[in-house]
Amino acid sequence: MVSRDVPAQGAGRSRGPAGSPENKAIAADVYAGVDTDAAAIAVSGLGKEYRHGRRRLRALDGVNLAVGRGEVFGLLGANGAGKTTLVKVLLGLARPTSGEVRVRGRDPRRAAARRRIGYLPEGHRFPGYLTGEAALRLFGRLAGVAEGTLDQRIPELLDLVGLAGRGGDRMGRYSKGMTQRLGLAGALLDEPEILFLDEPTDGVDPVGRRRIRDVLLATRRRGTTIFINSHLLSEVERTCDRVAILHQGRVVREGTVADLTTPALRYRVRLGEGQSAAPERLAGEGLAVVSGNGSLEVEVADLAALNRLVDRLRADHLLIAEVSPLRAALEDVFIEVLEGEARAAGVSDHGPLTTDHDPGGGR
Amino acid sequence: MKTWALIVDTWREALARYTLLGFLAVSSLFLLVLTFALNLDIVDGALAAGTLFGKAFEVPGKGPAIATVVATGQSVFAAMLYVLGVFLAVFATGSQVPNLQHRGTVDLYVTRPISRTHLLLGRFLGAVTLVTANLLFLCGGVFVIISAKTHVWNPRFLVAIAPILLVFLSFLGFMYLIGVATSSTPLSIMLPYALYLLSVPLAAHDRIAAAMDSRLGAGAVQVLYWILPKTAEIGRDLTGYVLGKTTPAALPLATTAAFGAVCLGAAVVAFNRKNF
Ligand SMILES: Nc1ncnc2c1ncn2[C@@H]1O[C@H](COP(=O)(O)OP(=O)(O)O)[C@@H](O)[C@H]1O
Ligand SMILES: [Mg+2]
Repeated sequence: MVSRDVPAQGAGRSRGPAGSPENKAIAADVYAGVDTDAAAIAVSGLGKEYRHGRRRLRALDGVNLAVGRGEVFGLLGANGAGKTTLVKVLLGLARPTSGEVRVRGRDPRRAAARRRIGYLPEGHRFPGYLTGEAALRLFGRLAGVAEGTLDQRIPELLDLVGLAGRGGDRMGRYSKGMTQRLGLAGALLDEPEILFLDEPTDGVDPVGRRRIRDVLLATRRRGTTIFINSHLLSEVERTCDRVAILHQGRVVREGTVADLTTPALRYRVRLGEGQSAAPERLAGEGLAVVSGNGSLEVEVADLAALNRLVDRLRADHLLIAEVSPLRAALEDVFIEVLEGEARAAGVSDHGPLTTDHDPGGGR
Repeated sequence: MKTWALIVDTWREALARYTLLGFLAVSSLFLLVLTFALNLDIVDGALAAGTLFGKAFEVPGKGPAIATVVATGQSVFAAMLYVLGVFLAVFATGSQVPNLQHRGTVDLYVTRPISRTHLLLGRFLGAVTLVTANLLFLCGGVFVIISAKTHVWNPRFLVAIAPILLVFLSFLGFMYLIGVATSSTPLSIMLPYALYLLSVPLAAHDRIAAAMDSRLGAGAVQVLYWILPKTAEIGRDLTGYVLGKTTPAALPLATTAAFGAVCLGAAVVAFNRKNF
């Protein structure tokens, strides 16, 4: 994970239910100062209701978000959390019921505001009668890219996503992974300043995923702002600077990946070879010893407590080989947050959480 | 450029779905049959004898002037093309909007930096070019064959393409409205046909209204007549014009065009307001 400076706006961590008054106050505080012209994406008080017959379904409920320019932002959430709905509003595909969104300071429902914005929709379907090349040309023309530029860029993009030589095939014959990669090429056609990806690696094999990830990393190096929707947590963990967790239409947690995966203050203290500390000696200090076997995992109240622990070990003449913060996998954080939400709601009305262990996508 | 891209896209789609090919095949078949089935002997500028579908016929005494025969034949063809052409064209373009609105496809179009109005009207223009080309081929072919065989050139037959096209455009506007509202190809084809069938008897609106018991019903019939396309009147005027008897009345043409324009406008508004 490359560490980058996260813009101040929107970096505030919102704990607890987003709808709570205190949280709204925080949100108002954080976003009041947001220069919406400077932010690539600004969402404030966004609500979206769908009507299912008589019943109203609240897909988004008071969402506040800001994504800075050049940032890679991941929106996490179980199926049905509202991720796709949020992206659709950000692209002017759907109208918000309340609140407003700004993309580069402008309303995305205006056609001109969508210039140099790339979008890879979830489950997109290019017209099957087009070849890959013809599809890129059509959507490039609709984006207003000049003909000469397209002549040059289309083969480059096909090559970039690993479809060189397949551009002349009809899209109806493409596999799911090929379609997804062609969609990515389509999203990159007019050199986007902001790239929206909705489940970019869904249904793609490990090699294809790797390819998509490489393309994204290259795109990000050019300074493109990237907004990724995903329920594949390990993917997001590898690509994103900052994430928000969406649950039933509300942002329940937001922060840098490093922030979220470093729980309160947990450290591993590894002692020199063959050395061990008496657990009761440490517990007496009010420090929870989580585990042992040459190393200790401790949860401390603050840094002072950690240093008192080190002093104590040193007073016992033990040699310390390593002190390092412990990270949880994003997936653990995700599950923990959603379980917390379910408890807060009293009864869990959510089925088993779907997460993806990304069996073959390892680096 | 964007408009051009949408027109090209419409043609490509028609080509890939064999609608263009089907249209051309039916038209060519029609023209071929006409070429071989019709044979006329002309003596001194009058029809003396001929064969139609292999059956010989003689015209006793001094036959009618060939120009009259041709005009009569052409007026029959014009009436045929008027019905057949519009039905074929509706059939060929009915899937346009539903296909555009397909889940997963519409997202790709609508998120490009192009307004939804431009997008829908660009596709409309594509359909217009497609159907115009087909009608020109079909009607132009009939005109050339008849004229070449009889040496009578009646330009009124060519002019008749314009009202046929206008009626089709009116129905296309209606079809776009149905397509945007329902995303259904079968409905986009069947409802225009239903409208066509409904509009024909409305030509007798005065008599129908007079026969109605309630004033409300009579009023409804009159209102419907003024709103809906006037297919029957335009058809009648069309044949009369080809025969050289009448000039088409402007009012039916204008109200029919207005119906299509209002429908298309409503389709554009609905398309702009839609959530995808
Ligand atoms: N077009 C729509 N009409 C009605 N309900 C919808 C529509 N799109 C999404 N929903 C509902 O909104 C909720 C959020 O959906 P979505 O944004 O697709 O979630 P996610 O992308 O996180 O899986 C779901 O309950 C879904 O059923
Ligand atoms: Mg989704």
